Order: sequence, then C-alpha cells, then structure tokens
Amino acid sequence: MFRIVGVVGAGTMGQSIAEMLAMKGLDVHVVEQTSEKLQQARESLEASLDRQMERWAITAAEKKLTLNRIHMETSLQYLTECDLVIETISEDLESKKEVFRQLDGIVGPETVLASNTSTLSLTELAGTSGRPERVIGMHFVYPAMRIDVVEIIRGLQTSDRTFDRTKSFIEDVLSKKGVMVYESPGFVTTRLICLLINEALHLMEEGVASPEDIDAAMSIGYQFEHGPLELADRFGLDSVLAALERMFRDYGELKYRPSFLLKKKVRAGQLGVKTGTGFFKYGKDGERLA
Amino acid sequence: MNILVINAGSSSLKYQLYDMRSENVLAKGRVERIGMDSSILTHEVDHQPEVREVSEILDHTTAVKKVLDMLTHRKFGVLRNIRDIQAVGHRIVHGGESFSKSVLVDQEVKLEIRKLFDLAPLHNPAHMMGITAVEANLPDVDQAVVFDTAFHQTMPPISYLYAIPTVLYRKHKIRRYGFHGTSHDYVSQRAAEFLGKPLEELKLVTCHIGNGSSCAAILHGESYDTSMGMTPLEGLMMGTRSGDLDPAVVPFTINKEDLTLNEVNSMLNKHSGLIAISGISSDMREIVEAMNEGHDKARLAFDMYAYRIRKYIGAYIAAMDGADAIVFTAGVGENSDVLRKAVCEKLTFFGVHLDEARNAVRSSEPRRITTDDSKIDVLVVPTNEELLIARDTYRLIQNKAQKERNGSEERG
Repeated sequence: MFRIVGVVGAGTMGQSIAEMLAMKGLDVHVVEQTSEKLQQARESLEASLDRQMERWAITAAEKKLTLNRIHMETSLQYLTECDLVIETISEDLESKKEVFRQLDGIVGPETVLASNTSTLSLTELAGTSGRPERVIGMHFVYPAMRIDVVEIIRGLQTSDRTFDRTKSFIEDVLSKKGVMVYESPGFVTTRLICLLINEALHLMEEGVASPEDIDAAMSIGYQFEHGPLELADRFGLDSVLAALERMFRDYGELKYRPSFLLKKKVRAGQLGVKTGTGFFKYGKDGERLA
Repeated sequence: MNILVINAGSSSLKYQLYDMRSENVLAKGRVERIGMDSSILTHEVDHQPEVREVSEILDHTTAVKKVLDMLTHRKFGVLRNIRDIQAVGHRIVHGGESFSKSVLVDQEVKLEIRKLFDLAPLHNPAHMMGITAVEANLPDVDQAVVFDTAFHQTMPPISYLYAIPTVLYRKHKIRRYGFHGTSHDYVSQRAAEFLGKPLEELKLVTCHIGNGSSCAAILHGESYDTSMGMTPLEGLMMGTRSGDLDPAVVPFTINKEDLTLNEVNSMLNKHSGLIAISGISSDMREIVEAMNEGHDKARLAFDMYAYRIRKYIGAYIAAMDGADAIVFTAGVGENSDVLRKAVCEKLTFFGVHLDEARNAVRSSEPRRITTDDSKIDVLVVPTNEELLIARDTYRLIQNKAQKERNGSEERG
C-alpha cells in the first residue's frame, strides 16, 4: 500500500490534497518550482490547520504531527522514494506532459503516477510515460479533507493492477468512496456541476431570479451545502470558465458554452472567494459576508 | 509460566511480559508509529537503562516480531527463547453483548470480534491486527482476549437501555455497555478482601478516575450500573471528554457552527472536559497546581469534575438502596488526595467522614481513608489492568490444560 506520496503543485488543490493525506498519517512530499511558493503554501497550510483546530476537528498535537509529515521540496528529484505521485498543477496539457515525462525517470517502476486533472485526456498524458499502464486519474473534489469522493479515471492503457491499487488506497487508507469513470472531459462531477453553474448564470442573465434566491432555491430545495453560484465562487470563477471552455471545445455542444456573465466576471478579476468578490462577498477565511 | 500482555492500537502496540509464578513484570515497552519508516520501539527492564530502537515497522506483524526479538535479545532480552512465552493476553475494548467474560481465541471468537467493529471502529480493528500479528509470529501459542465491557454484562435492562425507540437497540445494539470493566471487577474484589467481608454481601460504588473515568454500582459482586455508555464518552467529566450533556446540544451545535460529524465527535472527545473549562490542561496534576496558584478557570474545572463524581456516587447509592464502601482507583483516583477530599467532604449526609491524615498517605496498597466511625468506608485500591489481563489469560490456559488432562484420562 502507498505510504509515501508526492504531490506536484502547491496550489489550492495541491495544498488541500497534501493536508488531507498528512492528516491520514501519510508522509507527503510537496513540490513547487520556487521556495517562495513553497513558503506561501506552508503558511496557508498552517492557517488551514489552525482553522480546523478552531472547529475542534484536530488538537494542537495533531496539528504539529500533520505539519511534520509534510515535506516541502523544490524539485521533482526529491520524489524518488514515493509510492504514489499526484500531479495537481494548473490545467495545461503541455506542462502536465512535461511533469509526467520527468517523473518517469525519477520514480521507481512500481510507483503509480496520478493526475488530478478534471478535464484533460489521461490517455494523452499517459502517452508521454514509458509505462502508461501505471498512469491513472485521481480527481479529488475541493476541499479534499471534507469531501469523501474521488473519481478514479482509467486511461486507455491504465492496467487493472494500477486501478486496483489506487482504488483500495482511496477506500481503505483515505476512507473515501472511489468512483470509477472512463476518460471523458469533465468526468461525472465537473461535467454535471459546471452545467448546473452555467445554467444558474443564464437564469441570472435573464433576470429570472436574484443570485441569493437562485442559491436558496437549490440549497434548500435539493440539499446542496452551497447553491450553484456560491459553489462557483468557491471553485474560482476562472477555473469554472476554463473547465466549461474545455468541455465546449471537446464536445462541441452549445450547452457547454460559458455564459457571458462568467467571462465578464473573470475579466474584471472578480474570481470568487480567493479575491473576496464573485457573485457574493467573502472574508479572508473564506466565510461569506452578508 | 510467562505471559505476554498486548494492547494494540491502530499505530501503536504496548506490551508487558509477566512471570506468573511471582506476578513480576520481566519487561515492558511499546512500539509507536507503526506503518512509518521511522517507528520507535521502547523497551524497559527493571534496573536497566531504557532501550530505544528506530526502524521501519510497516505492520503489526513486524511490530510483534520486533518485540519478540527484543525480549530474546542477547543483551537487552529477558528470555532465552521465544518458546518461553506460554500465552498471550490481549486487551479488547468492546465485547458487545457477545462476551461476558474473557475467552481463549479461536475462529469463532475472531469472527465475533470482527462483527463488533461497528461499535468500536477505532479500537477493535486494531486489536484484531494485534491478534493476527501474534498468530503469525507464534502460531502454536494460546491467546486470550479480555474485554473492557465484559464485567458490565450483568447490568439489568433498566440500567443498560436508553429510553429511545427500541428498534435502535434491536437493529444496531445501541445500549449502555460500560468500560473499565476489568478494573471495576478487580478493585471490588480487593475492596471486599480489605473489608474482610464476602463480596456477595456488599454494595460498592467504584470510581475509576484516570485519563478516562467511570463510576460503577457493584451490587453483591456484579455490575448493576455504570456511567460510561455505548461509547466511553458518557458519564463523568474527563480530561478531554465532555461526559454527560443534553443530547440536543449536538444537533444544535452542528447547525450553529456548521460542523461535520467528524468535527463534533472530535470536539466532544478531544476538546472538552478539563481542557475545555480550564483552558490550560487535561491533566489533573496541572489543574490542581494552577488552582493553588489562584487560576480561576482551573478552580472551576476542578470543582465541576469533583461535583460530577459526587453526583454519580449519590445516584448509585440510591440505585442500590445504600452502600458499604466507595472505592477510588486509577491514576487520578489513586494519587489525587485533593480530589478525593473534594468529593468526600460533601458526602456527610450519607455518613461519610473523611480522615484527612489517612487521605494524605501515599501507598501502593489498598487503604481506608475514612475515620473508623464513618458509616460508609471510602477506600483507595490501586488497579492494574495489565496484571488482570495476565491473570485471566493464565487461568484460561490452566483450565484448558486441566480439561485436556481430564479428557485423556477419560479416554485412557
């Protein structure tokens, strides 16, 4: 079973995955390009653990243990010992391919290489590896600590053994539900939720209902923790836009065409929780204001 | 006859090796961080410096192997050969309704312990790994399991049922089980010996006050009621556990603070009790120290803690329609004269008269801390759960040997 895990990329998703893995007792090596980015990541990891402590989820001792299990590295070269590497860099096919190409020469032959991509082709990524059978998709939903489902994506050449090892790791070690999906842009979660968000934006554009009421209708009516607009703010409007554009391109169907309102918001730099303003306003700890 | 006692956790394993002729501990220790590449084995033998070894221990089987290697080590060991271990006793937290006494491990017992994983998801799976690990290393050695819940299986339904829809009891076995059973059982026996009366004629309230705490009403030698419930969270206020509270507080808090089940569980188990009220510590010694220095919140925490013990004692005396003695045991109960005093000095209504000089004595022997004319005796009886596990294991394998002898005689 995987014990030492590498996480490539210390963005929102990389941090969230690293934190969750360390809380489950695994040793985690997080790789970023610069020590400034790593420093930033460490600080925001600490802040996140502090918030967990305030919510009584962990004790001070557990926070310290968790932080001790997270090692910050500036090069992929430090991942030689890893049993599993999860790539979480931004959704750009060429950069991702480069990471997989490099990893191939660094990790041992038994190491599973996973990508957290939500829209890109696993088969294409795997094609850059000399051992495409060990490449697989592990799509976590943010925040990885609280959301207990992972989409496991099989590329064309992913072996049964790689799939089985990944699934039992997700279910037995991480105690999350592993859902098997075959390669297809957006898989299940991103495809469905982005369409819902996009449709909510059309409702807003058409003046059918206010953002507050759209969210209230869905969160109360169908027991969503957050309505579609707040959800979009939490994902980051730029990420939602990128995912929709990708699916629009790949499927060629109009229903994926991002709403103009979404494009305008992104151009204005109102990206949601991370900038403090999206469809609603947020405090620095991500709490919704008013 | 040597018996190895094992308490296996999910990433740790504690052990004590007993020589049953003298009941002496030959060696004890623990393995921590199982599953990591830098696990730590700490090994202690009396009058010798502690040995620490850091190595990669990935599972419980390797952990047990390391322990056995250490016990037979040329320099640090106490045994010449691992064959000198005649039996292994395991501590098991939850025996559910299936186990009312300790038993030797066989296929059926293992199956039953597995069925109880639901009721004790943190503990029983880890204990099971301990059993499997010993099997792998010592396939021919008998193993016994000793349950924290077993002693309380004598409780009548009026004590063990919760007043909620009974379908929940039928479907999920939701009821009071109680814990620290080995300890309540042992100290009530020792108390009867000390008092020179048959246990079957006594009404006792036993207070196991340690990291976790529980009171029990021991009526004529059997557990009649106890303060811990389906899990060790109910009852007394503890170091980091809340103990009793209005169950409506849980959904209310989940809603107001937007908590997950995991968070609210952690809040009640790890962030409540002494640490929550005092804001400084979950350790009674530190609370008393701070209180003596004038720390108000430490005083409040201490007072609440003592008050709740007193309420349970009162309740159990009422439950049994009287009591002959109250027994304090475990870390805090054995060592904190300040706490015992705070609990006892307002039990005068029952005729409890504390003798302050006797209360202040520190000793590892059972003792009385009330005056000779006190209507109810208050005793301090040190507990020793590992020794009890070793004794139960010893008794079970002797019975088995006896039966085998009888069997062969009959056949012969």
